[in-house]
Parts: sequence; C-alpha cells; structure tokens
Amino acid sequence: MTPGPSATAAVGKIRSLGFTHVLSIPDSESRLLHDAVGDAADLELIVPCREGESIAIAAGLWAGGAKPLLLVQNTGLMEAGDALRGCGLGPKIPLRMLVGWRGFAGAEAGKLPIDSAYTYTEALLQAWSIPYEILDRADGLGAIERMDATAEQTQLPAAVLVARRFEP
Amino acid sequence: MIERLDLFRAVAERRTDEVVVTTMTATLQWPLVSQHPLDFDFLAFGMGHASDFGMGLALARPERKVIVWKGDGGLLMSLGSLVTMARYGPANLIVLLLENRSYEMVGGQPLPPGVDFVGLAVAAGMEGGGREGSGRIERWETLDDVDRRLPEVLTEPGPHFVVIPVHNSEPLPPVSHSDHAQRVIDLRTALGLPER
Repeated sequence: MTPGPSATAAVGKIRSLGFTHVLSIPDSESRLLHDAVGDAADLELIVPCREGESIAIAAGLWAGGAKPLLLVQNTGLMEAGDALRGCGLGPKIPLRMLVGWRGFAGAEAGKLPIDSAYTYTEALLQAWSIPYEILDRADGLGAIERMDATAEQTQLPAAVLVARRFEP
Repeated sequence: MIERLDLFRAVAERRTDEVVVTTMTATLQWPLVSQHPLDFDFLAFGMGHASDFGMGLALARPERKVIVWKGDGGLLMSLGSLVTMARYGPANLIVLLLENRSYEMVGGQPLPPGVDFVGLAVAAGMEGGGREGSGRIERWETLDDVDRRLPEVLTEPGPHFVVIPVHNSEPLPPVSHSDHAQRVIDLRTALGLPER
C-alpha cells in the first residue's frame, strides 16, 4: 500500500503557512495529524462536535483576523453542506480544508461495494465549485500549500482531499 | 417573560464596543434599537450556528466582548455547540438565548415543550467551563434581572450563557438579505482589520 504523508511533516507545513487554529473532528484516517496538532504548542486545536460547527467557528475566526484550518472527513463535509454554503461560499470566506477521503483505499483496490462516501466526494466539491488538490502520497504535502494559495487568491473555500492515512 | 424589543432596548442602552451577532428574528428587531458598526447580521449564514461564529470571533479577538443573540430553536439545530462552548468558549463570549419556545422565523412551529435550556447548559458543562473555567449560566426572567445582571455579564469573565424567556407583540420588519460578503467586510473593517 502506498504510504501516506507524515503527520509531523504536515504540522510543519501547517505551521509554515501561518495557520493559527485547527478545527478537527476525530477520524481514524487523520488521527495522527489530529494528535500531532494537539502536541504543537503554537497551533490551537479545537475539537467541535460536528463539522457544521467547525465551519462556523472557522468563519468567525477568519472574520476576526485569525487563520483557521479545517480537518474533516468527507462524510462530515456532506453533513455540513449548509454551513459551508452559508459561512464559506456565500460570504466569500476563504476556508481552508483538509478533507479525509473515506473510501479511497477500497476504491483504489477495486474492493466492492464502492463506498458511496468515495463516490460523491469529488462530485460534491465540483458541484460547489470548490477547487481541490489530492494528497495521495508521502511527499505530496505541497498540496496543502497550493490549496492555501488558491483560497487566498480566490477568497473562497478550497480543499485538499487526503486519500491516505497519515503516518507518524 | 420579557417583551423582546424592550429587552433589546435594555441591552442596546448598555452596550458600548462589543460585537453583537444577531440571527433569525433578532436580525429584524435589533436594528430598530441599534445601528452600530459592530453589529453583525448572521441571517442565512447557517441555521443554528450563530454562536459558533461568535465563538470564533471571540477567540480571534480576545480583547473584545462578543454578544450573540441566539434563538432556542437555533440551539436545538446545533445542540453540540453547547458542549463545544463549554470546552473552548473564551471568557469574552456572551450568548443570550432568546427563549420563545417556537421556530418563529419559519412559521412559529412549537419547540418540544419539555426542553430545559438551563439544564442542557449545565449538562454540557457550561457552569465553570470554557477555556478558563469561568463559564456562567443564568436565567433572566424580568427586565429588572437584565438591569441588575447585565453590567456584571458585560464585565466579568465568561463564557456567559443566559436564557431569557421572551415574547413579541410588535410587528416584525421585513427580511432584508443584504450582501453576505459585504457584511463580513464591514465587520472586519469595524474591527480594524483589512477587508480580506
């Protein structure tokens, strides 16, 4: 199996891009990144109860001058559609999102049935006109930087689909 | 039970440089008593999430109090927000819950009758909670309660969660959907931040 990105290196990338807060909903694929952010003294980890909350808190943080990063699973993003519309796309708030792509590994391996969370993820981002990068290898952390630059340039939400589990 | 517009007047009279976030019917009546650059209309940003947005603002601007007028129906739509506020809510956050027992903005459908909003906040850990362990829960039944308690809530560390039973007998102004992006720009400008 192709190895995923290093959580420690990802925290370094997040730090280098000037993020102040990380809003994370626990997810098995991103667990190590969640933990690594929690260990980083210069990043504030907030763990809301659901993704809609995360998005609204992030919008408030941005409106107040902070730079938040959302760490959610694709299923949670689907749950949070109205918050994303209302707190990101509508008011043109450049939400930066790392979206765990549940179902990618199974689909890649040709395992049936295909997880519907996999199937609808890209289609949903495309329907929302949210530009996204795909992070599917250990040395692919540049995707976070490109996503950040896109959000800054467009002043709209942008995402990285994280296709592999974070490694230590 | 307090007439809502009287409540708004009482708070507006004591408000100085706090950010005030409104949502749902509060967005219609608050402007009748307040026209302030730090008023933020959250209508149509996401049902149930006004206090989440307010919490983010308060975290980003610790030097400034943030007041959120939130509805009881909206709270039920994002009940986990209470738990999140009880864990991370900063000392400068004040949530004033308008308890009218109905989804007023969308037709007045009744809320489940037995919900105890103070009890929910207690169960979520709000009392003694928040980032600094200074969370407070109160219930204000009368305008005298507002006059007596508001000065302290505006000055003492929170997060504060205040349940206020209200009714409304005033005609509601029509909904005005101003540009959402401009509302955010205006708020950032009022906070002394770049537009983007």
